[in-house]
Amino acid sequence: MKKNVRVEGLLREMVPRVLGALVRRHGRFDECEDAVQEALVAAAIQWPDQGVPENPWGWLITVASRRLTDRARSEVARRRREKAAPLPEEVSLASGPDEEPAQKEDDMLTLLFMCCHPALSAASQVALTLRAVGGLRTAEIARAFLVPEATMAQRISRAKQSIKTSGIPFRMPPEEERADQLRAVLHVLYLIFNEGYTATSGPDLERAELTGEAIRLARTLHRSLPEDGEVTGLLALMLLTDARRPARTRPDGALVPLTEQDRNLWDRKSIREGAELVADALSRAPIGSYQLQAAIAAVHDEAARAEDTDWPQILTLYGILERISDNPMVTLNRAVALAMVRGPRTGLDLLETLDGRLTGHHRLDAVRAHLLELDGDHTAARSGYQTAARRTTSLPERRYLEAQAASLAEPWRGPDASVEDHRGARRERRKT
Amino acid sequence: MKYVLLIYDNPETREAFFGEGGDELMGEMDALMKELTESGELVGTEALADPYNTKTVRVRDGVPAITDGPFAEAKEHLGGYLVVDCESPERAIEIAARWPNARFCAMEVRPIMDEAGTEM
Repeated sequence: MKKNVRVEGLLREMVPRVLGALVRRHGRFDECEDAVQEALVAAAIQWPDQGVPENPWGWLITVASRRLTDRARSEVARRRREKAAPLPEEVSLASGPDEEPAQKEDDMLTLLFMCCHPALSAASQVALTLRAVGGLRTAEIARAFLVPEATMAQRISRAKQSIKTSGIPFRMPPEEERADQLRAVLHVLYLIFNEGYTATSGPDLERAELTGEAIRLARTLHRSLPEDGEVTGLLALMLLTDARRPARTRPDGALVPLTEQDRNLWDRKSIREGAELVADALSRAPIGSYQLQAAIAAVHDEAARAEDTDWPQILTLYGILERISDNPMVTLNRAVALAMVRGPRTGLDLLETLDGRLTGHHRLDAVRAHLLELDGDHTAARSGYQTAARRTTSLPERRYLEAQAASLAEPWRGPDASVEDHRGARRERRKT
Repeated sequence: MKYVLLIYDNPETREAFFGEGGDELMGEMDALMKELTESGELVGTEALADPYNTKTVRVRDGVPAITDGPFAEAKEHLGGYLVVDCESPERAIEIAARWPNARFCAMEVRPIMDEAGTEM
């Protein structure tokens, strides 16, 4: 079957609205969710052939309601067969009037809070959000996460089961829980984005589409909560990070570090939008970690060349981020900024404080090796890169780190060879 | 994060599984498998035939040499594997510790390499 891009897009937009309306009317989130998925399948088959109905929302509601009715009827029949249960009242699930426009976005928001409820595991939150809010099918989610469809289906049904048994209602969380739950929602969107962003080319293309999905969801969330600085910050961070995607890998999937990326390949439109969003958020909302990360990404993205990067500003931003987030990875990044501003030794000294908190993490070894290299200690840098290469569980990272180590191998010193020549040759090699 | 949990056997595990109390051990494995299936952590699993059926293949100078028995000569051998996708290395270790072979022989927890990566 040919995938109709326009229909697919429309359907995904519709999903949270249709599901929201159904759940509000009938309750029973788990059953409604199944019914909506079935309606989606029907639409994906019929619409490209017969045209999109005049009122697609109403069409989906009607079809999904019919599925709910069928299901309820067969359930009743089953129970009657088992024991002569009295017939329940007529199941009335006719479609209602056209949706109330103001309700659409609220439903989307309520659904997001529900799918990212703390009672669910992170893997379940991600899977259910992509299905119930993103409108993706289980098989698509499974392919993106490189697991069998049965495994993904299990995660989704477990999530729905948890919602049912925990009695999580379909309504906005109470005011006092809202901030915490919104943080959980943002984290789930961030996880979805990262899953796609770290994917490289080739067999991972479907996985890479998750970034687009995360951005779309963050945009919708931002439309519902335009005043929230962290929602804006997360959307900005995604745009500013994704803007670099065309430059971050070579066609063969090899990673290109930020300083060596071809900045002409960066997506200027996304950078502009992301930078404007974060500037706006920082000027009026209470500061938060997504805004700060976005601000850092903006500083990188706005430098015409790597050597033009405003490192003092990045250092300041990491300093603030470190104070509010207490995450050793932030300290690790601050060490890089510190090294760029005050020299590699200062950065290396800061790394000392991370031993214990990040011991055994390949990123600590990789950053240390990088700073040692900047400091001119190639022997130690080389062994650091090798350790990092052994510790990472990512193939492209291992490849990159092994290449770094190899490039620091004792150069053959011919009569005219200088260290500078060696470094130049290395840069050339990396380009090929 | 995906891990392969390598299940190791030795003469003691054979005795335990096929002797008295073997049914209980099988029950433990079934319960754990059910739990991993329902949680959406189980990606796949297979049991391997006895090393009696193993062939080791080596090619040297283009010439294949096939020998009977496993590559590594040891009292222990690989009896099967599980692939799980779970939230932390601690969880992978916890699953391995609950697999009965951990008590009689050993389980090996090995992260699976990811095709994805972040720039350094």
